Amino acid sequence: MKLNNYKFFEQNWSAIAVATLVLCVFLTIASPAFMSFANMQSVLVQASVTAIMAVGMTYIIIGGGIDISIGAILFFISSVFAELFVATGSYPLALGVSLITGVLLGAVNGFLAIKFKVTPLITTLATYTIYRGMAIHLTGAQNIPVPREIGYLGNGSFLGIPVPILLMVLVTILGVYLIQKTRFGLYLRAVGSSEESAHESSLPIMRVTVLAYLIGGLTAALAGLILIARVGGLQSDIGIGLEFTVIAAVILGGTKLSGGSGSILGSVIGAIFLVLIDNGLNMLNASPYVYDTVRGIVLLVAVIVDRLSEVRKSRELIKNSAMKMRGTTS
Amino acid sequence: MLRPFKGKVMNIKKRISGVLFVVATLLLSSVSTSALAKKIRIGLAVDQLFESRVAENNAIKVAAEKLGFEVIEVVADGDAQTQNAQIQSLVVQRVDAILVCAVDQNTIERALMRAKRARIPVIAYDRALPDSRTVAAFVGPDSISDGFEAGKYMAEQLKGIEGKVQVLELLGALNDQNGIDRSKGFNKALNALPNVEIISVPTDWDSAKALAATENAFQANPNIKAIFAATDTQIPAIETVLSNLNKAHKVGQDGHIVVTGVNGSNDGYAATVSGFADGIVVMDLTNIGEKSVQLAAALIRGESVGKHNVVPGQFYSHDNIVENKADIWGAN
Repeated sequence: MKLNNYKFFEQNWSAIAVATLVLCVFLTIASPAFMSFANMQSVLVQASVTAIMAVGMTYIIIGGGIDISIGAILFFISSVFAELFVATGSYPLALGVSLITGVLLGAVNGFLAIKFKVTPLITTLATYTIYRGMAIHLTGAQNIPVPREIGYLGNGSFLGIPVPILLMVLVTILGVYLIQKTRFGLYLRAVGSSEESAHESSLPIMRVTVLAYLIGGLTAALAGLILIARVGGLQSDIGIGLEFTVIAAVILGGTKLSGGSGSILGSVIGAIFLVLIDNGLNMLNASPYVYDTVRGIVLLVAVIVDRLSEVRKSRELIKNSAMKMRGTTS
Repeated sequence: MLRPFKGKVMNIKKRISGVLFVVATLLLSSVSTSALAKKIRIGLAVDQLFESRVAENNAIKVAAEKLGFEVIEVVADGDAQTQNAQIQSLVVQRVDAILVCAVDQNTIERALMRAKRARIPVIAYDRALPDSRTVAAFVGPDSISDGFEAGKYMAEQLKGIEGKVQVLELLGALNDQNGIDRSKGFNKALNALPNVEIISVPTDWDSAKALAATENAFQANPNIKAIFAATDTQIPAIETVLSNLNKAHKVGQDGHIVVTGVNGSNDGYAATVSGFADGIVVMDLTNIGEKSVQLAAALIRGESVGKHNVVPGQFYSHDNIVENKADIWGAN
């Protein structure tokens, strides 16, 4: 079997997977501590928050949208959880209300974006300000400690596997299933490819779009609950700039900003890749002043690799089509 | 028949005119009083809201209230352009002085120039603006001293250990003068021990990044003996990591990892009380707030003031932090 024909290289996420592998090989050679079980586990736990949010963001981008308020949703949900838990002492109540609130905030974003036909970037920029402002108002910008005992989502383990990793795997499997095996996934890709064609085909554009944003809100809420459990409490800078890390993970994973296609698995690998950069710099005891430069260079290389693989795939497609045409005409 | 009625009408007229005279006199006197004693208004341009900034702003407001000043507070939410516009609006409102905690010096310099042209004195608080041509004075924490005190205590705890001693330093943001100065002071104190190797990692003041950095540092260097957090709000994240590694031993226990930090938040206080952390340097935010307002008052009066005013913090250890709870701004 020729390597060129192997299915792996036809996947959206093949470029980021290769880049991740290359980075791992380099770090294994450069630092003996890198390829240990404990460090790999640590990398996956660290990636869980970004990866879970990246799954939600992938749905939104595939559907032709974008949500830059997810960091603010994460902060707002964390605030609701912390305040409610402190007020009532009930973990299930705080957890339930927080997740439902995440769903509602996501749905509001989707509804506003589709109903009023305002660019999602602008809509979610507005809701970003509203959600963050509401959270600051709710907490008075104060830190709220969360007891370590209730931090199961962030610090617990099940059958020896850290809960954040299990949740990341679960969300990824559900994410892949929803996008590949359900009518919702099919409709979402159709809406993202061409809203006009989707409208002509009488697809439920409103329902599909709101559902994608709703998933984005839910994953941000879940990520927020993991994060405050790990950090040990609510702090007013939680989630700032996280939306850009999440979008970077999604784009690195092979999802196109123009919508219509993308890969859940690629987004998760993208999130792991981003964590690996910082992990590697820590492992190599790098100077703190080189972090941003190295991050930038590695990201640039990954994007170029992705672009080159796209070009190669397009050429393959043209070549195959030409061969097929030649076959039918002869 | 008509005479007594006429007399009554005259009396009523007299009374009404008397009341009107009193009312008019009162109104005129109140107008002239307010015109003569115009309330002094201070514009407070805040970078963004978080725990220590809120405490600092509250100290400023209390000090201003004592002097009878009015405070107009604007918050930029970390956006330099927003802060630029907010400062311009304070200039348009003709406030008597502006206290600014800058998001970014270069972006707001233009707005500060307008303030200068309008003869409104500008005082930078908490974050110095060393290259600004407009700021009349700075008042803030003595971050070099704060970092040094945390490092000095740590050095005392580590001095008996032989061989290479690895210390993890969780830096603040690399473009933040307070973070840079805390690191300078901390490194200076640790220089007293020749066998110490400092592993410095940037965190951008972000606890999630501090958590990941601590995890990674312990994977690469499992024998780290001490951790310095540029802000004590990161200590709970450090505790998460050390608990997961079964290294969260209290002060005095075998295998205890020395933890110090700077700030004075409840996170740092609680960790020091519990014995997870050895101690924290507490910033004197009340003093910083009071000094800011005093400088503003002096500049409004046209007096000259010192350009650089810093207030050192106080180190409290596990042994004495509870008895000094009243002096720790974040303790609750």
